[in-house]
Amino acid sequence: MDTMTTTAATTTTSVVRFESVTKSYGDVRAVDGLTLELHPGETVALLGPNGAGKSTTLDLLLGLKNADSGTVRVFGTGPREAIVAGRVGAMLQSGGLMDEVTVGELVKLACDLHPRPYRADEVLARASIAQIADRKVNKLSGGQAQRVRFALATAGDSDLIVLDEPTTGMDVTARQAFWATMREQADQGRTVLFATHYLEEADAIADRVLVLHRGRLLADGTAAEIKAKAGARRVSFDLEGTIEEAPLRALPFLTSITVSKSGSGQTVRIQSSDADATVHALYGLGVYPRNLEVAGLGLEQAFVAITEAEEATLAAEEAASK
Amino acid sequence: MNSLIKLEITRALRNRKFLFFSVIYPSALFLLIAGSADDHTKVPGTGLTMPTFFMVSMASFGALTAVLMGNSERIAKERESGWVRQLRLTPLPGRGYVFAKTASAAVISLPSIVIVFVVAAAVKNVRLDVWQWFALTGVIWAGSLVFAALGVAIGYLASGDAVRPITMIVYFGLSMLGGLWMPTTTFPDWLQSIAKWLPTHAYAALGQAIELGNAPHAKDIAILAVSFALFAGGAAWLYRKDTLKA
Repeated sequence: MDTMTTTAATTTTSVVRFESVTKSYGDVRAVDGLTLELHPGETVALLGPNGAGKSTTLDLLLGLKNADSGTVRVFGTGPREAIVAGRVGAMLQSGGLMDEVTVGELVKLACDLHPRPYRADEVLARASIAQIADRKVNKLSGGQAQRVRFALATAGDSDLIVLDEPTTGMDVTARQAFWATMREQADQGRTVLFATHYLEEADAIADRVLVLHRGRLLADGTAAEIKAKAGARRVSFDLEGTIEEAPLRALPFLTSITVSKSGSGQTVRIQSSDADATVHALYGLGVYPRNLEVAGLGLEQAFVAITEAEEATLAAEEAASK
Repeated sequence: MNSLIKLEITRALRNRKFLFFSVIYPSALFLLIAGSADDHTKVPGTGLTMPTFFMVSMASFGALTAVLMGNSERIAKERESGWVRQLRLTPLPGRGYVFAKTASAAVISLPSIVIVFVVAAAVKNVRLDVWQWFALTGVIWAGSLVFAALGVAIGYLASGDAVRPITMIVYFGLSMLGGLWMPTTTFPDWLQSIAKWLPTHAYAALGQAIELGNAPHAKDIAILAVSFALFAGGAAWLYRKDTLKA
């Protein structure tokens, strides 16, 4: 009885629910046993490198593709039903526009198709494309086309807005303006899900970040938590002569280390989750590191770092249980 | 769906090249072929004069151009650009897109039929009863649906660079072999026996029967019905395949 009430409650409060969803293309598993849930009013970033399965995940969510196994529910129904009910507005990278018509005509069409439409002039103004309403769609710049897609996604009163790398092709100013508009949408209580491969973008906009890597959910938390996990830095330096490796390995916050010969000395490469503390302790060893460099990891490397960390934890847990 | 149909029509009417080829070109071709023919010589094996024969041929050809070209190239192009995908994110049902395309093509094909009739009546003195004019318009307009379905099927079958050549081959092949440009009675026997089974041949035959004051032959109606079932079935199958792939 208890389980039944819980199920009913979660069905009504979850905006999106994936359960063990798998989707393959030939031998490639684009989405691999993905389980996730979005709650009303959240602004969620779907973060991952190219090929992580972000677009496939969004396609499954929007009913553009069918899962090989598992279930996808949007507002407690199938994706298509949710779209027909006008509850989802979406902007895809691959979403084309009808050409030979004007921006104004196209936005008007999107409004006419929505069950709870806004006025076309409002939609144009909000997407900052009112001044190009008379321009033909095929004569737009990349950034302008992106704003038209945004207008199509917000033509009516939808409860969930899905955006696939929405700021692609926009310059910095346009990007900032775009996210300001997006924030207004979120402030009105809408759930917003956007895919991005910029950690900074996820950090600045999202309340919650889902990290996707090789079709699996690698991490789920606040941007700060993810940053702490993915915020690893790389420290490298040269040391003269031969050195003891043991004290280096004992440096705090160190996640990995490689020592290689170079000339008369050694080059040491370290990955650290807190580079400041690691470097401070390094000087404490009484060595004189030369050519010291501290650099952030790219997102791809950060994911590898997180994966390795998770695998290490799993292995440790397994070992402990034996 | 109405707003999509409206926008499709607006856009088709704006496209001058498309308008020229589907609305003006058939009439021009009529004048070119039938212009110098005298009003009394009969086309062998038909019982129709040159101008009356070619009036129906060119009206059918014009309607065919509008619906076939209108559907195939645009659908292929919009599948590729992702517009079809974008539309799937709206409450519009999938068939609504195909329906809107076909409806807008039909709006263009009507004037192309009527203009050929007006030119034929004015320049070549083609005279028919009032009911015949209406029946001709209705039959040719309705029959064009067969080729609209073929256009949809090609639009979902081919993509990118392939769609234009495929459309052209089908378009010219069906027009020529079906006898829209010259009577099939001028063909060698073996070709005649193929031509009479083509939907374009049956299509023009509907109009010719009405011009002679008869009801269309059951065989021609059957050929068109079977063709329509094949093309529409193929289009539906290809559409579903494309949707799953998307």
